[in-house]
Amino acid sequence: MADLEPVVGRYLNLESGGRRYRIYYEEAGEGRPLICLHTAGADGRQFRHVLNDPEITDRFRVLAFDLPFHGRSNPPDKWWLERYRLTTDVYLGLIRDFWRTLGVERPVVMGCSMGGAIVLKVAADHQDEITGIVGLESTAFAEGRDNDFLHHPAIHGGELAACYTYGLNGPDSPEAGCRENWWYYSQSGPGVYKGDVYYYCEDWDAREDIKRIDTDRCKVSLLTGEYDYSATPEMTREAAEAIPGCRFTVMKGIGHFPMVENYDLFRGYLLEELASMA
Amino acid sequence: MSAPPTPEWMERYRERVNADPEMQVIGDWFSLDFKLAFEGEAWLLSVREGRIVQIVQNPRFDRPARFTISAPMRVWTRFVRPDPEPLYHDFFAMLMRVPEFEIDGDSLAAMQNARALHRMMNILKTMEPLDGRS
Repeated sequence: MADLEPVVGRYLNLESGGRRYRIYYEEAGEGRPLICLHTAGADGRQFRHVLNDPEITDRFRVLAFDLPFHGRSNPPDKWWLERYRLTTDVYLGLIRDFWRTLGVERPVVMGCSMGGAIVLKVAADHQDEITGIVGLESTAFAEGRDNDFLHHPAIHGGELAACYTYGLNGPDSPEAGCRENWWYYSQSGPGVYKGDVYYYCEDWDAREDIKRIDTDRCKVSLLTGEYDYSATPEMTREAAEAIPGCRFTVMKGIGHFPMVENYDLFRGYLLEELASMA
Repeated sequence: MSAPPTPEWMERYRERVNADPEMQVIGDWFSLDFKLAFEGEAWLLSVREGRIVQIVQNPRFDRPARFTISAPMRVWTRFVRPDPEPLYHDFFAMLMRVPEFEIDGDSLAAMQNARALHRMMNILKTMEPLDGRS
């Protein structure tokens, strides 16, 4: 008998910000929608363990989509005439239009890294449409990840992005998980990681927005790995302290990519937060 | 009490790099000389096709290096150990968060070889701690 996973991939055509997109997503499970947002320069494959976890899919309809330019989601038309630079407005619009176009109601939105950042804005701007957010490696403001070598004609951008992010894993995370994430990073298109970092390190600043979040209307859980040096535990703590009623946990032994680098350790933390979303 | 690496320690490092199966896969294009500086004590590593072919302690001016990775011993000792604390657990972590950990010179050449260089730094982490016992 074939060893098939319960994960199914689909393409969704949607309009966002006046542009048409062909978006790839994977889903598994039934129940409350759980939308998963990948990290910069990566794609929804990072959530394959969540999609395959029956303890989650028994209660949640897990949906992991690839942003345009990432994974199997195409760039929009005329992409060759623009420098790829993600912005807060475009990113937020794509997430909102993904759940609205699919007809998904009251989702939990979970994101990691730049996804963990934007979920704070999702909560600030759409708190009556969603159940809550789970922010992995979240920060309301981040600096220092950009450099010109990330998109340079004399450097293999995929290898550099993959190595540049590899150290963000916890040092004791299983090598297979860390290497898997390396592989995903090595596959992003030219300049895509740098374009995401533009959003994360130049455009992104939600320090005022998060003060609007009302955790009676929208639950907020923030989980950050002890070894994350991009969004450090202290950076997440600053955001958490600005959101009354927010749950915040530092995950021991974990780095910046909990769902892929060390799922067995991460899932205990995640299940607890998902239970709080019920 | 920390101390810079001894020649024997560096020789063991060379053996470990040259025996590493991953370096044999990824090192084909990594051919240059670079220095590791441990608080003023510098070691030139001459790398050819991913193998360290020569190590020179405190090289003279006639042995140029493409780039130098340097830090005080109090930083190196926190990196070269089996249980590094956060921010000291990785080459790129220290480049971002530890100001005293520096790369000088042709950093473009370093990043062109990021995969093999990063692997060499990860092998360095596995060496005996630089706490004076090496």
